[in-house]
Amino acid sequence: MNKLKIRDENLGDCLLWSQLITGNEEAFSLLFEKYYSLLVNYGRTLSSESEIVKDCVQDVFVDIWNYRSSLSEAQVVKAYLLACVRKRIVRFHQREHIFSRIINIDSIDFLMEYSIEDHLIADETMASTVKQINKLINSLPARQGEALYLRYHQGLSVNQVSEVLDINYQSTKNLLHRAILQLRKEFPLSVLVALLSALLTV
Amino acid sequence: MQKRNSYNKLEDFLFDSSFQRWVKLGEDSSKWEEWTLDNVERAKLVEEARLWILAMNVKQTPVSNKEMQMLLQKTWGKIKDSKDNKPVKRILNYTWFRVSAAILVFAVASLFYFKIDNNFFSENIISYQDLVEKESVGLIEQVNNSENPQLITLSDASSILLQPKSKLSYPKTFNSRERKVFLSGEAFFEISKNSKKPFYVYSNEVITKVYGTSFRIIAYSQQANVDVLVRTGKVKVSSNRNMKSASVGEVYLLQNQAARFDRKEQFFEKILDITQDKSLFASTSTIEKLSFEFKDIPVHQIFKTLEQAYLVTIDFPVEKLKSCYLTTSLSDMPLPEKLKIICESLGFNTRYEMNGDHINIISDGCN
Repeated sequence: MNKLKIRDENLGDCLLWSQLITGNEEAFSLLFEKYYSLLVNYGRTLSSESEIVKDCVQDVFVDIWNYRSSLSEAQVVKAYLLACVRKRIVRFHQREHIFSRIINIDSIDFLMEYSIEDHLIADETMASTVKQINKLINSLPARQGEALYLRYHQGLSVNQVSEVLDINYQSTKNLLHRAILQLRKEFPLSVLVALLSALLTV
Repeated sequence: MQKRNSYNKLEDFLFDSSFQRWVKLGEDSSKWEEWTLDNVERAKLVEEARLWILAMNVKQTPVSNKEMQMLLQKTWGKIKDSKDNKPVKRILNYTWFRVSAAILVFAVASLFYFKIDNNFFSENIISYQDLVEKESVGLIEQVNNSENPQLITLSDASSILLQPKSKLSYPKTFNSRERKVFLSGEAFFEISKNSKKPFYVYSNEVITKVYGTSFRIIAYSQQANVDVLVRTGKVKVSSNRNMKSASVGEVYLLQNQAARFDRKEQFFEKILDITQDKSLFASTSTIEKLSFEFKDIPVHQIFKTLEQAYLVTIDFPVEKLKSCYLTTSLSDMPLPEKLKIICESLGFNTRYEMNGDHINIISDGCN
């Protein structure tokens, strides 16, 4: 059932996308409304200046409309939009970096902090375990954290994550694998770890 | 949901959106609970995954409807402004199509998956018939019911060897923007180079895009896979976007690489070196085994090679061309181009006429 819903969503996106390419303003508006806040939320993980993020997201849509005739129809819309926003913010930061002469070359870092779903926590032991996991996840290297976020939270496929991060498929796979591996290595419940590694080596 | 039975890693659960929704919102609760309790190991894994999801919440700032309308207005305003200061046209990134040329060999080394959601087979099937019916321009259909490959020459001078029990549909002439043909079964393509007009082959669920190169496609309607094998140049293979799951992605192939599209599971498997795969190598057709590098070879022998490769008959003035020898490289080009080069090398008065699978060389001899 849920699968069906997701597939319909993809289909809907594709339809809107191809209508947008033919110049349908309503399709453009619908996609804007659908993805604006998602994109701003993602953008905020890359830049702390929320006004700039908003501008960047709007500019992405401006470009999409202006250059719609050269857009490719075969596109996973969500992944494409996320990739555009990322590029835009990176570009903005690089430009700013030239003007302000900051020496930081790694111009963009993933800043998101995962929080805890408090209302679903049943008891003390659970709370402390979840807290430890949360700490581990938030201490992941920026790039791993971002890959994990796109894969887990935005529900992108590995292939789409690689598109957004603009790195190849294998590197993305490695990035995700390393993230999970590192987390699991430090995971507090040693019993579960033993169990997991037993399962994994099968 | 069927795929969850093979879950054995933490991330299998983390990346499953319906599992996420169960943990967070209690959706499909009974189904998941029952399934979890089926198996002790699984239950432990599920429990761990649950804790992880609880630790990975992301705060979303919602945007009110009113605010959204405002933002949308603002964006339309920006679009209007940008139109007034004419934007500079962007050049698309076509660097990938820098095509190379080369040799052929065949095999499987390493593979990787473009995995996507499981789908029901029937829902995603795209048949040759569907594709052809949807096409608005009139198409010519060639069906090969014989036991030998058949040569087809297209209006752009590309040549195609259609295997037995296969069909190809193509327009009499291509439009100004693209070249598009439809295949059911197996064929070997040699596409004339034209960087302004990409060449597309639609075969079941797979679209192959090239600018000029040679490759083979195997896409029988009853077969579980669609295979694309690249002999020279660079090729882009993608799934047909009309499919419901649009997330299958695309694969770029270089020479001696291949992609296999699993029609049931809906993903591409990339084969990095075809030379090492015995089954693929065995299926190599005559044309792919022949060399078209000729060094001081009597021209009648070159014609013989072409006859074997393309299964055509070539008539030529035997006496007049008796003592003509050529040194030339005719790899990686369609048959009309090969013939043209031979005729030009022989001399001004040499030309060819092509009538189906019969070729007539008219010549007064060589220089």
